[in-house]
Amino acid sequence: MMPFLQITDLDKTFGGLRAVDDFHMSLDAGSLTAIVGPNGCGKSTLFNLITGALTPDRGTILFKGRDITGLPPHKIARLGIGRKFQVPAVFGELSVRENLALPAMKGRITSIRNDTNNARTTAILDQVLLTDKADWKAEHLSHGEKQWLEIGMLLAQAPELILLDEPTAGMTAAETAATAALIRQINQTGGITVLVIEHDIRFIEQLECPLLVMAKGQILKSGNFQSIRQDEQVQELYFGRTEAPHA
Amino acid sequence: MIEILPPLLDALSYILVLILVALGLMIVFGMMGVINMAHGELFMVGAYVMVVCQSLGLPFLVGVLFSGILVGLLGLLIEAALIRHIYTRTLDTILATWGLSIALKQGIVLIFGPEAQSVISPLSDTVSLGEFSYPLYRLLLMGASIALIGLTFWLFLKTDFGLTARAVIARPDTAATLGINTRSLYRRSFVIGTTLAGIAGALVAPLISVDPQMGLGYLIPGFLSILVGGAGPLAGVLAGGAAVGGTNSLLTVWISPVAAQIAVFIMAILVIRLRPEGLLGGRRGK
Repeated sequence: MMPFLQITDLDKTFGGLRAVDDFHMSLDAGSLTAIVGPNGCGKSTLFNLITGALTPDRGTILFKGRDITGLPPHKIARLGIGRKFQVPAVFGELSVRENLALPAMKGRITSIRNDTNNARTTAILDQVLLTDKADWKAEHLSHGEKQWLEIGMLLAQAPELILLDEPTAGMTAAETAATAALIRQINQTGGITVLVIEHDIRFIEQLECPLLVMAKGQILKSGNFQSIRQDEQVQELYFGRTEAPHA
Repeated sequence: MIEILPPLLDALSYILVLILVALGLMIVFGMMGVINMAHGELFMVGAYVMVVCQSLGLPFLVGVLFSGILVGLLGLLIEAALIRHIYTRTLDTILATWGLSIALKQGIVLIFGPEAQSVISPLSDTVSLGEFSYPLYRLLLMGASIALIGLTFWLFLKTDFGLTARAVIARPDTAATLGINTRSLYRRSFVIGTTLAGIAGALVAPLISVDPQMGLGYLIPGFLSILVGGAGPLAGVLAGGAAVGGTNSLLTVWISPVAAQIAVFIMAILVIRLRPEGLLGGRRGK
């Protein structure tokens, strides 16, 4: 069977830095996978390459068998790949409802009521627990609520694959747990393939999913939470060696 | 006794045309960071299209329509050939569009000569307002301007197009990730801005001297309106246009054109000093 997302030989260099270096990865349809790795390991660059925000120097990205390498971001988005940025990127001046309606809009000259008041938007409001605040300006939401609104905006795109870049950054423990549950629900009931980048070890554990460890632009290890946690090489990567490094 | 009403009405019609010009500038600046120095010349081209239409014996309304369409098409051409290569490079846009403004001005001089052309008002009637009589065309100009300003606000505040446009202004990268074609929105917005300038030029042509220098007379107050009103929300243009246009027009009548210019610039300096974000305190993204 053809992998849902297949990345081969991917390279991206910034000046002298190889942010993504001969990277290979494949995801199955309906999977939930988390990528962990230290700062600067190339995780966000990888997302930027998949969504078309950056063009790779080399390599191919196949989505459902179709080559999407180098397509402009809006086209990749319309093929069914949604992405949540690390910093909440909601539109503060717009209402929660308008934020959720945006992804379905094609920039036609029709009244926004058609998109902001439909059943779809209502269902998503419900799913991300923002029904009570539907008409608030997004800038007045709490940090956690903004993160959820952004997940809602992803769902409004009706994506088949979503990329989440540190979705729980700055959240309380309770919010983090609720977010992990939401992501599992999106993956299991919604049937959406999910790829998460995360630092927060509690959150990764709560996702109960396979992990990929990324370092220096490549996949270093893969496995489940327990095996990765106990892996010496991974511990070294995160915490450094205790003894002197050999020359 | 000083007659109060006619100068006030004159000021109002000047303010409304100024807002039309400034709205076009603001859409282009707010969305794309392009400071369009050629906007005044697009306004000028609109007026010259009206001159040509009238010399061909076409009805005034057809002239207005043609001005909007032709200047809109000119905007499309300018976007495709020039502006799209320099988006977000604000300083470069000033130089490039300034060059364009010179080319357009000289093009008009080559075709029509440097002398002023005149457009005959389609309505010579006057209406009596109490003791005064006032040209009917000026009143219609105000109505048409209000309608166009209203239409532009509706377009940007109440339609799908407007919502996606505002999203692109705030966060172009996120908007693209949501599947919004930012390039096409930039192009359409630029064309809307230039079309407004073309129509404004055609509408105001019967009231002013149509000459190759006319653009500057609206470009500078247009920029000052944005500066004074604030470059964030569209409504800033209304406040800025009213403040700049009102001061300019009324002081020209009551004191002198020079005093009016000085007052407008002093006002702009005070606003920059005291409210750097403009009267309505707009801000661009976060």
